[in-house]
Amino acid sequence: MTLDTSVLFQIAGIGIIVAMIHTILKQMGKEEYAQFVSLIGFIIVLLFVLDSISDLFQQIRSVFFLQG
Amino acid sequence: MIKLLASLFIIGASVLLGNEYANNLVNRPRYIRFFKNALQILEAEIVYSQETIKESLHAVSNQIPEPLATLFQHIADDIQHDQDELYPIWEKHIHVFYRSNPIQVDDKEILLQFGRTLGQHDVIQQQKYIRLAINHLERTLKEADDKHHRYGKMARSVGVLIGIFIVLLLL
Repeated sequence: MTLDTSVLFQIAGIGIIVAMIHTILKQMGKEEYAQFVSLIGFIIVLLFVLDSISDLFQQIRSVFFLQG
Repeated sequence: MIKLLASLFIIGASVLLGNEYANNLVNRPRYIRFFKNALQILEAEIVYSQETIKESLHAVSNQIPEPLATLFQHIADDIQHDQDELYPIWEKHIHVFYRSNPIQVDDKEILLQFGRTLGQHDVIQQQKYIRLAINHLERTLKEADDKHHRYGKMARSVGVLIGIFIVLLLL
């Protein structure tokens, strides 16, 4: 199974940037926005890996002969 | 190659937006200070020199920096002899000024409120209204200064970071 590695780097980059925005907003006393930005970052990354996760579940089902 | 160029454009645009926002934060207290000075000069002209409003506004426009000088100049120029109300002129020019300059709704409301009283009362009452407007401006000035200190640097760095973020998302 070959995973496209570029998506990993992209996710790493998004993580770093979101962490920086979070730190800056928190420093300036905008805690609620900081939380919000983290949540948005998490959701975006989740959308990126959605296909891979669904693949994973399919694999697990096929391993245990649950595929219909 | 074209990807790189597009990324640079996106980052550049968001940096510009961040800078613009930060500049607004820097300029708002400056403009409020100018307005305060202008009202003080106006008070001196009305109370001590006892000039007409047209002449007072001309005097104010000669003593304060741009772009307020042109604002007061325009208002003074628009006053004609056969007119009986100053407020429509004042309102029109303040609206135009508000649209192209970094003052906020609060500041505009104070100025409009003041415009409603201008030329309606005797000298002593007028002086009280000018003092009141200056006090209100003092309050918004404090708030604007506070905002500038708190969010001035943040706006710039968040602008850059959001640009990089968008590029990463589209990559």
